[in-house]
Amino acid sequence: MNDTDLDALLSTPLPERDAGEFTVLLMEKIAHDQARPARILSWITVGLLTVIVAAACLYGAQMMNHAASFNFAIPSLLTLLTLALSVAVMQSAREG
Amino acid sequence: MDDPTLIARAVRKDVAAFNALARLHQSKVRGLLLRLTRGNHATADDLAQETFLEAWRGIGNFRGDSAFATWLYRIAYSRFLMHARKRKPDEQLDDWQGEAPSGEAATHARVDLERAFTKLSAPEAAALTMCFALGLSNTEAAEALDMPLGTLKSHVLRGREKLKAILGDQP
Repeated sequence: MNDTDLDALLSTPLPERDAGEFTVLLMEKIAHDQARPARILSWITVGLLTVIVAAACLYGAQMMNHAASFNFAIPSLLTLLTLALSVAVMQSAREG
Repeated sequence: MDDPTLIARAVRKDVAAFNALARLHQSKVRGLLLRLTRGNHATADDLAQETFLEAWRGIGNFRGDSAFATWLYRIAYSRFLMHARKRKPDEQLDDWQGEAPSGEAATHARVDLERAFTKLSAPEAAALTMCFALGLSNTEAAEALDMPLGTLKSHVLRGREKLKAILGDQP
């Protein structure tokens, strides 16, 4: 094979590939990638919720023996935090 | 719509614009990776997906100093090198695995060429593919392969000599 033939063969364009399935899969991956921060946020929120529920349980157990000094502020705050975080989780799940 | 307009929109995280860019460039990126993976369609397409995903994440860093295609080839080649480094020795591919095109004599020459390409090193195969089949200038190819111009030229020269010897030996 001489140089001219080899150059001609090498210069042949690469075969055309159909974009259809490839770009559909790529767009799915991009969508998944875009939802990543929301997914991370939802996991953090679930973690915080677990801590709050545990704190509420602990507070309830302590109050069992000290009914006279029961303070509504703490359970109210924990309930509010739980509600706020639940809304955050639901929003993250919707975006994800 | 042309590349600069689509890029400007994609930088603003316009998925539709990036989809259009991917449609425009996917064939050549996949073709390059198919040759580098010695005809392994699945691996080539996986690497091409990773290439475009990385391009999507980093499109804000694309400054337009080079053509968008050159930037993509650079990502594709570095993805291929990472994959090649991770590959276990028993996964080495020795021969062209792609389908054999049917029909005319020209396609036989093409299959012979692809088989001959498997005997080249990755930089030689990439350099020849970029400079000939993808139509990049030597400077652009050197940039895409992240190597000095002189090194690129010697890869091209050595690759051509090897191909000539291999194809010349065939009956």
